[in-house]
Amino acid sequence: MIKVENLSKSFKNTEVLHDISFKINKGDFTAIMGPSGSGKSTLLYSISGMDGISDGRVLFEGTDISHMQEGELSLFRLNKMGFVFQNAQMLKNLSIFDNITLPGLVAKKESADKIRKRASELMKRMEIEGIENRDIREVSGGQLQRASICRAMINKPEILFLDEPTGALNSSATDQVLSILEDLNNEGMTIMTVTHDPRVASRAKKVLYIRDGQIAGCKEFSDDEGRERELDKWLRGFQFSA
Amino acid sequence: MKLLIKLVLKDFKRNKAVTTALTVFLFLSALLMAGGLRVTGTIMSSLSSFNELAIPPEYLQMHKGEFDEEEFESFVKEHDYIEDSLAVRMLNIRNANIVYKGETLERCLMDNGFIVQNEGFDLLLNMDNEIAIVKDGEVGVPVYYAEELGIKKGDVITLHEGDYHKDLVVATLIRDASMNAALTSSKRFLVSSQDIKEISSHMGEWEYSLEFLLKDGASSATLERDYMEAEMPSNGVAVTGKLVSVMNNLSYGLVAAIIIAISILLIIIAVLCLSYIIRATMAEENFAVGEMKAIGFPKEEILRLYQMKYVMLSLLAGVFGFVACVPFGDFFASSVIMYCGHGTVEWMKWVYPMLGIVLLCLFVILGCRRIIKRNIKNTVVELMHGEENTKKEGHYTLPYALENRNLTVALGELKCKWKEYTVIFFVFVFSSFLILLPMNMKNTIENPSFISYMGVGESDIRIDIQYSDKLKEQKDAVMSYLKDDDEIKKYALYKTGYVQFENSNGQWEYIRVQSGDESVFPLEYLEGNEPYNMNEIALSYLEASESGKKVGDTMKVVYKGKELSFTVSGIYQDITYGGKTAKADTAFDDNDVEVYIVYLDVEEGVSIDKKTDELRKILQDSKITPVREFVSQTLGGIADNMTLVEGAAAAISLLLIMLITVMILKLITAREHSAIAVKKAIGFSSRDIRIQLGIRILVIQFAAIIAGTILANTLGETVFGLMLSSMGASKITMLVEPFWAYVISPAVQIVLVLITVTVGTKVVKNYHIRDQIME
Repeated sequence: MIKVENLSKSFKNTEVLHDISFKINKGDFTAIMGPSGSGKSTLLYSISGMDGISDGRVLFEGTDISHMQEGELSLFRLNKMGFVFQNAQMLKNLSIFDNITLPGLVAKKESADKIRKRASELMKRMEIEGIENRDIREVSGGQLQRASICRAMINKPEILFLDEPTGALNSSATDQVLSILEDLNNEGMTIMTVTHDPRVASRAKKVLYIRDGQIAGCKEFSDDEGRERELDKWLRGFQFSA
Repeated sequence: MKLLIKLVLKDFKRNKAVTTALTVFLFLSALLMAGGLRVTGTIMSSLSSFNELAIPPEYLQMHKGEFDEEEFESFVKEHDYIEDSLAVRMLNIRNANIVYKGETLERCLMDNGFIVQNEGFDLLLNMDNEIAIVKDGEVGVPVYYAEELGIKKGDVITLHEGDYHKDLVVATLIRDASMNAALTSSKRFLVSSQDIKEISSHMGEWEYSLEFLLKDGASSATLERDYMEAEMPSNGVAVTGKLVSVMNNLSYGLVAAIIIAISILLIIIAVLCLSYIIRATMAEENFAVGEMKAIGFPKEEILRLYQMKYVMLSLLAGVFGFVACVPFGDFFASSVIMYCGHGTVEWMKWVYPMLGIVLLCLFVILGCRRIIKRNIKNTVVELMHGEENTKKEGHYTLPYALENRNLTVALGELKCKWKEYTVIFFVFVFSSFLILLPMNMKNTIENPSFISYMGVGESDIRIDIQYSDKLKEQKDAVMSYLKDDDEIKKYALYKTGYVQFENSNGQWEYIRVQSGDESVFPLEYLEGNEPYNMNEIALSYLEASESGKKVGDTMKVVYKGKELSFTVSGIYQDITYGGKTAKADTAFDDNDVEVYIVYLDVEEGVSIDKKTDELRKILQDSKITPVREFVSQTLGGIADNMTLVEGAAAAISLLLIMLITVMILKLITAREHSAIAVKKAIGFSSRDIRIQLGIRILVIQFAAIIAGTILANTLGETVFGLMLSSMGASKITMLVEPFWAYVISPAVQIVLVLITVTVGTKVVKNYHIRDQIME
């Protein structure tokens, strides 16, 4: 689905990502891990087209998105990708419900009726019905993060990008969000998340370990059993501490 | 201190655009404040030095006809409050007989007289403010003509009458303390005594200018009364020193008043912007302030740190403003310098602007201090928690289907964030007001209907039959010609003379009364109506104000020794003759008529200019002026100055609009950095976001232009009325040129903002969601 070829990214004279290549298949659940400042979020934004790259290319279903015009890329993101951020970034002048429906109404792929209906269904599924008309400051962090997943899902994206989705959540909210992600992946949704939390990474089927702007390791997990332990062991090899 | 300066410089580097815009704002405020005060200082210095050297009379009575010198001298002796007197002989030459560069001065409204230099007082000065001396064959030309016709030293003026020609070389330009202003309808040329003798033997008509200087404490009103009562020669206009100074003040002072008014407006704008910027900057600095407080930085130190920036900015703007105000002020004072010379009281030109700058700096610094102080009063927790992030702005609801996403989002956000746009709204309102006010003022002054503020209804042509021995014959000739001219639609004759009336102090004063059919060219009355009956009188606004008379009051009037009782029928506006006139159906004796004025309208399709030329050829003894010309020449100097002010105000306003747009965009994009990034992440393009920002600013601007236009037409009228009230017009109806005021001006403002937004929002492209994330 996504093919990253020799991706490099520099800020001024500092190279943050260096010659990275990997593939993501449809239905994958990939976690990107690494120490602080390793370039994991930069990699996520570079792959998703939210940030430009300095060298290499990113192919999304065969289309090179790394050289697309800004407008074209916006449209591409709107229709094919969903994003969830650490702090559940939402527009503060819209209610929770309007925040969720906005990308759908902007994309106009379906009728307003259908978009609103799906928004309600997503909220129900994420167990956040009843907060539709609330202000984003009037709900808990977990509710807000689940609402932002609803927003990311509103246009039925082909891939969901998440940047530290549980970074600002407490333990129970983290569990709720992780279950949802797992369910979505089981339904066929491709997911790619950046995390420093082994608990989150242990739900993924593939983990990329980034260090000093390069892929230091890649681990694929075949079954759920003992995944957490296996990951822990693998991470210890990189002297990783959460 | 060194550390403070370092921090401030670092801050400058970080917020280049906002800091530069703010500095320019403060600089403009300082420049206008100091510039306006420099113009004021220059005018005061110039006029006071000029009057000291030229010594204008305190009372001046023009007189045409016979003059008994002995009678005049005995009148002076009998009245011991008279300090000095002069009986100046002036040779009036018709404009058609004065030729400059092949053209006669016929198109000029002014009455032109030739005199020799006076002795003692009322001296004509040259351009170095020395007593002007001309040799035989030379002439000193009023500075008014240098301005209007471009006459300069070395040019030749030719006087001709029949076969007689006299060439006079312009030896100097003349500054005339009594008749300098365009508002004064006579101008004096200076020639040698030999030349005046020669010229008078071939052409011209003698007129006397009887002039008086009064001892301290004596009033010109007393002299005027005694003079009239003694039946001294008075076949001509009487001018008091006060009237001359009103005309001078209006000619030179109006511009200074407008500049000062603009600068006050600009200072208000600058303070509004400052307070907004300080609050916005301080909101961003809350965390840092909280940290400083947490580690024990004293409050005063934090205050000093943040205040330092604004102190430095104010001082910088003050210094540059003061330096720039010199050429700026001198440019706007060029008219008074031309007419009155550089004054000798130099300190006024420097001290006034300096005081203005000091006041401005204090105002800004103290204002900043107050805002910063209020901000750092919050507790450490409040500061570090970030009030900005928790502040509720309210919601807007998306429509069921999003037809126009950018318009919907922009208007929705504007609804929630309108408070952030208050400053820019007011700046746009003021800017629009600043562009329109001088434009409308100039348009009003230049419009022929401005004649209605001169005490008469609107008409096409004015014929003056004045100060002649053959006044009645001339009047009859004019009337009989007009009667048979089928190109003339309507006309009316007005005769003007003097009657006495009892003022509020119980003293008898002379008042200029115009009598004629007031219904032919109806005048809009402030109150009441024109005098319909014999015992009714209408008063000018100033006359009514000074005498305390209202519509319906009775007024005692004495004419030819007979006391009559009149009822005030109406109050009208009049800026002629010092603003003190009246209208009544007075049966003046032909001998008592000072001036006949005929106003006429030509038939449709008849050219006013052609008709004027035709009348000038036929009615050679009368002065014929198109009313449009009359208004523009009478107020010519003011209109010219207004053109300068109009240009400067438009340039400053447009610059302001651009600066505030840049500043606000910078602050808004910085503040909404996160929202912009989120929008981009969910599929809005940079173009969409730039359009949304543009819509918000343009909606505000559109509303502001409407408000500014309404304000210019309402408050502007009041301001203009106030400016002209000292002259006699209090209620001015602003005349708007719709194409300029409602199409060009808004279009220019909107296009400028559009360009600024297009350039200013380019930064949106660089905003990435990754900047919101901390790895």
